Amino acid sequence: MVHKIINNKYRIFVETLILTIVIYLLGFSFGFFIENYRTNNIIENYKNDVINEADLRLQNYYYEIMSKEDCNFSIQENFIFADRIYNTGLRLEQYEEANQLTGDLLLEKKQYILLKTELWFNTILLKNKCGNPFDTVVYVYSNRPVNQALISEQKIISNVLKNLKEEKGNQIVLIPIAGDLDLDIVNLQLKRYNVTSLPSIIINEKDVLEGFHSEEEISGYLRS
Amino acid sequence: MNFINVVYMIMFFFGIYLVSFFVLLHYRNGKRLFDSSEPNRYPSLSIIVPAYNEEKSIAKTLIALLKLEYFGKKEIIVVNDGSKDDTLKIARGFAKKNKEIIVLDKKNSGKADSLNYTIKRAKGELMAVVDADSYPEKDALLKMVGFFEEKNVAAVTSRVLVKNKDNWLEKYQVADYSIIAWTRKLLDFVNSVYVTNGPLSIYRKKVIEKVGGFDSKNLTEDIEITWNLLSKGYQTRMAYSAVVYTSVPANLNGWIKQRVRWNLGGLQTMKKYQKNIFRNPENTFGYFVIPYVALSFFFAMVGIILLVRYLWIKGAFYFYSFFYSLRGYNFFRYLDINIQLTIILIFSFIFLLISLVYYKTGFANSQMKKSSLMKILNYTIIYRSLYIIPLLLAFYKIIRGDIGWYTK
Repeated sequence: MVHKIINNKYRIFVETLILTIVIYLLGFSFGFFIENYRTNNIIENYKNDVINEADLRLQNYYYEIMSKEDCNFSIQENFIFADRIYNTGLRLEQYEEANQLTGDLLLEKKQYILLKTELWFNTILLKNKCGNPFDTVVYVYSNRPVNQALISEQKIISNVLKNLKEEKGNQIVLIPIAGDLDLDIVNLQLKRYNVTSLPSIIINEKDVLEGFHSEEEISGYLRS
Repeated sequence: MNFINVVYMIMFFFGIYLVSFFVLLHYRNGKRLFDSSEPNRYPSLSIIVPAYNEEKSIAKTLIALLKLEYFGKKEIIVVNDGSKDDTLKIARGFAKKNKEIIVLDKKNSGKADSLNYTIKRAKGELMAVVDADSYPEKDALLKMVGFFEEKNVAAVTSRVLVKNKDNWLEKYQVADYSIIAWTRKLLDFVNSVYVTNGPLSIYRKKVIEKVGGFDSKNLTEDIEITWNLLSKGYQTRMAYSAVVYTSVPANLNGWIKQRVRWNLGGLQTMKKYQKNIFRNPENTFGYFVIPYVALSFFFAMVGIILLVRYLWIKGAFYFYSFFYSLRGYNFFRYLDINIQLTIILIFSFIFLLISLVYYKTGFANSQMKKSSLMKILNYTIIYRSLYIIPLLLAFYKIIRGDIGWYTK
């Protein structure tokens, strides 16, 4: 029966179908290519993390044995390192949002959060050693915000912090951490600083600000 | 890939299919768009003008009808459907001076019923139906009648152009009618003309009687009769060179009311003929026309849902941004502009590109002739968005079961 439909006059239905599939595949391939490029980029970054992780661990040893005279130089290095991780984080987040074909990279993300937590510990240690010469702002957010209000709120808070970081450059170390990826060490830290709701901002391991706060309000808690 | 993106991708597939379908059809048949053939003989013809409260336009319509060229016998029957104004008086005045014009008067019962009433009294082998606010060009009948040479053809429709094109809404409708007529003619090349419009269509009277006449319960008797004919294996054709001018609604209220009626009538017709889907592979009715119209409605609704979802997400962000700006957040510094080349964006671009070709070709072969990119975007983005209003109202009315007052 179907062959009757596909006689000369109606062949155009099938031809359009073929054309559509061709256009569709081209679009898909292009999309796939772009996403693949971005995914590779992400994976490349995560590979670097292994090195960064080792680096962080060794920095930790270094902080243990260094003398006070090395503080200035170490702080500077720590800043450069933290900035790099922060900026990569921003870029990865954008990439991840844009990738619609590939699934999310949960494992890599967890690894990345652990890396940032390690950075946080190092920073704490460095501050103790050198007499608290700078501020740490740890932004703990939810990886899977449940509603539009929370999504918007988190976006807004990360905008505020981005701006704060741009303004205060070398006076604060900004570390965003997903707080609900079920990582033991992150949970321990959150418990230690009494973080009960996401998103929250932990300033200098002392003050915990829940939800949105303006730049001015946050600045009020900073030393610098 | 998440569910929403899958929905987007399915929409894109059907969207690209349909738009390229029309572009391909045009590419293949564009040269034959205006073709019409001379018939071997001119069958007798009754021109029926159902009129309800048409005192403002009936005289002009009758003048246009009297000027119509036709080489066979013809009569013009005005059927006054219980008008409360001077329609009857004006029509009788014309009848006095022209023997060709016959005036019938009856109680108000709607257009479909008036047509059925008149069929019994019409003498012609063919019957042309002309709306009382529409004005055919003088060679329109000649361009149409040749299609009846083929025995199986039961109806031939014309190209409707807009008479009044002064204000913004009327100008949009010029573009709208251009696209409607052009796509309808393209569907003619695959035997799928599924509307024989009210302003001017000709029917083979014997066949109309055989299929039971016009459905007086339907809100769009012109769609219903066409589906009735198609479902019984008859052919319907369109003469693109036969032109009729019609008055379109000049304000948004009138426009919405008209479109709600079209939507309701379309849905009503679809329900009536749903059992014909994927039946009878001899013609395209069950395999193309019904799925095409059904999918158009379905995707329009899905489109609305996606749009609402998108606006909700954006709106929520700006709402909260505003809300937090009261607490010191600098709203204007972060207007959330972050465009990444996503698969959805890539397909939007592809779809936009094919659509531009589609509209450009359609307009080039219409009343408008030329169309700039701005005009096309303006028409598609602003005017076509208005389609949402009557569509939602139509669904709302169906849910409420309240469609009564539209029948008149």
